[in-house]
Amino acid sequence: MILANGILYDTKEQPSVLEGLQEKLTKTLIEQRLDKETVINAFDALGKKVAQGELNDLIDSIEFDGKEKYIDLIERMMSKEYLRSKTDLELDGRLLSNSSLITRQVPLGIIFHIAAGNMDVLPVASVAEGLLAGNINILKLPSVDSGLTVRALKILVDQEPKLKDFIYVFDTPSSDISTMKKLADLSDGIAVWGGDEAIKAVRQLSKPGTRLIEWGHKLGFCYISGFENEEEELKGLAEHIMLTRQLLCSSCQVIYIDSDSFDDAMEFGKKFLTYLDNASDIYPIREIGAVAEITLRRYSDRISSHIRKEDAEKDEFVLTGRSTTVTVKKDNSLELSYMYGNVIVKPLPSKDLSSVLRKSKEYLQTAGLICSPSKRTNLTETILRCGIERVTRAGHMSEFFEGEAHDGEFALSRYSRYVNIES
Amino acid sequence: MKYRRKLFSTKDIYDLGPTDDLFVKAIRENCEFQYGNCEAYKKILDLEGFSPERLNKIEDLSDLPFIPTAVFKKNRIFTISERKMAFKATSSGTSGSFSKIGFEFSAAWCALKMSLRVTSNRKLISLRPCNYIVFGYKPNRHNKTGVSKTAFLTTMLAPSLSRTYALLYRNGKYEPDLEGVINAIVKYSKRRAPVRFMGFPSYIFFVMKMMEDRGLKVQLPKGSKIMMGGGWKQFYAEEVDKSIFYDLAKRIMGVDDDDIVEFYGAVEHPVLYCDCRNHHFHVPVYSRVLIRDTHSLKPVPNNTPGLVNLITPISYATPILSVMPDDLGILHDGKECGCGCTSPYLEILGRVGLKDIKTCAAGAADILNANGGNI
Repeated sequence: MILANGILYDTKEQPSVLEGLQEKLTKTLIEQRLDKETVINAFDALGKKVAQGELNDLIDSIEFDGKEKYIDLIERMMSKEYLRSKTDLELDGRLLSNSSLITRQVPLGIIFHIAAGNMDVLPVASVAEGLLAGNINILKLPSVDSGLTVRALKILVDQEPKLKDFIYVFDTPSSDISTMKKLADLSDGIAVWGGDEAIKAVRQLSKPGTRLIEWGHKLGFCYISGFENEEEELKGLAEHIMLTRQLLCSSCQVIYIDSDSFDDAMEFGKKFLTYLDNASDIYPIREIGAVAEITLRRYSDRISSHIRKEDAEKDEFVLTGRSTTVTVKKDNSLELSYMYGNVIVKPLPSKDLSSVLRKSKEYLQTAGLICSPSKRTNLTETILRCGIERVTRAGHMSEFFEGEAHDGEFALSRYSRYVNIES
Repeated sequence: MKYRRKLFSTKDIYDLGPTDDLFVKAIRENCEFQYGNCEAYKKILDLEGFSPERLNKIEDLSDLPFIPTAVFKKNRIFTISERKMAFKATSSGTSGSFSKIGFEFSAAWCALKMSLRVTSNRKLISLRPCNYIVFGYKPNRHNKTGVSKTAFLTTMLAPSLSRTYALLYRNGKYEPDLEGVINAIVKYSKRRAPVRFMGFPSYIFFVMKMMEDRGLKVQLPKGSKIMMGGGWKQFYAEEVDKSIFYDLAKRIMGVDDDDIVEFYGAVEHPVLYCDCRNHHFHVPVYSRVLIRDTHSLKPVPNNTPGLVNLITPISYATPILSVMPDDLGILHDGKECGCGCTSPYLEILGRVGLKDIKTCAAGAADILNANGGNI
């Protein structure tokens, strides 16, 4: 399904929609201006419709726990109050003028959003940010989109027809390089969500000079150096791991223990396994196929590593709980776990923390920090200097904070530019 | 190898109890051979803390480390030199990687004896010549897949008048020739000799659907059979119930439910499973099946779903004595079937997998989907 100028088209009409698109976009760029309040009111209305159940048929088809919490979050993130505070914070509207020069923040122009399928509302959210900054938005749907995005955006333009020339949605597959390139060439900026491969592909696709706004995949970890309230902190961390299934950028994959002793890591691993199992009673993983796949992959990797090994020395120990595992490893690199409640524990003395984190600087985003109050300021500072964007309490690694930056940036300012005008 | 020879000479192939002791001895004999001759296998057993002497009774089989078929896809593991092998077979891996499993001459001999017993048990051996329609590859020197070999071998169960292949090798690749197949079905339906189909169920289903859409119906000669192997995996997504298949075969080609025979097997577990008249895969004496818990990998009781662990002493050339494919399955009590066979039967539920998984953890998408990077 294609959405262009407020009208839905069948996928096969793509060539005719693309024809003359450039002229149309230029005309909109010159003749129309998008007012921030118009966008905010339209999304506020959309959020209310979602909360009233207008999209429930589609949302119900998505399988996940905590649906109500999810709908609440959509409504909150589309509310006037939230969007106003977001634009106030992220669009500084800086106006600088001296006698002869004015500096002003304006929309970037046309933004091509290449959305990933990792969250169902992500494509709509990405377009929303583009609109708030005043841009024309071309969205390429992820291959796994359930139809939610086009429906939601159609409701939005029907609600506020002033937006219709600012939203274009295509369901072109990313393998259709020539169309992807055509859309990229029309744009001033490309916002890409996805893993390394997706981002590399977009870098190849775009012309030098087109602004790339990359929202890449990341790895989260937790660092433990003493406790404030051990029971509560470990319970919080375990529940975070089970609730997010370790599937998010911000999810904890590795727990580092401030020690150079493997035995300390083992001791912690054994203790933490109980917390993890208890958390999995609260947030059980019901997908048997997923559990089986992860278990089989873990076991296959173990058997394969036996074959490769020169000696019979073990460098990792798997502690198996009722429905979770803790793998204690001797090395200290930041890596992806097997997810779904299979966390990794490694010893990492604080003196080595920065050198280890710098090795993974491209993937750093969220660190959960558990430590004694006296160490918090210094550890936070060290971690931040290594390139981390968020340092939170361990149980809050994936929490949504109002006013937070994303991957170290304010999206709206990335979707804007500054112009200088001599009077 | 004397225990293996004895096991493969068993007459009543679905009476497991009396062969338990023999089976364990054959596995231990095989395990000792692998341990002494295959360096990779020795490392696996050593690092898993197992030694062949621990195999004494049937319950001990669950302690024997099993090797996931994925490991054979990533590594080439042979116990005897490739020169001494009778033949090698590869799995029909759709993901690009495939297993390569070797068989020595004595294993091939066991396999032949097994195949004859299993197929004659299902009354598939006949002297009446037939026309074969093979829904698979025409064997050629570029194709070593086990499936193409099995499909070809099944055309030996009765003398062949003709063989029509649905996948033809043209210009270096396989192309389906379904029109050719439909023409052959119509042509041979008018002859007196029975028609025998062999191949992937999904292709056969597809051809029958095409015939239905065109309003084509035939009555195949008496004694015609549909033999299927190669898995229902294409069906999982479509969720086509097997009964729809049987119903279609009756309506479109006049083939009775009784004349539809399905095989199950894998290159990594080359034991021929053949369904009973109720279309259940009872475990033959050459094999034992354990279902393991999807988290702990410990054996679970019958009628509980889990990962499938297949055990057989058939081959010495590759350590495939205990393997685990990517399948989820259930082992049912034999008496539940009602066909009279007491051996438990294996039901394959589908592949393990993370369907439509949504993740933004770095590297996760690339690992979880073959087509990672999902933009």
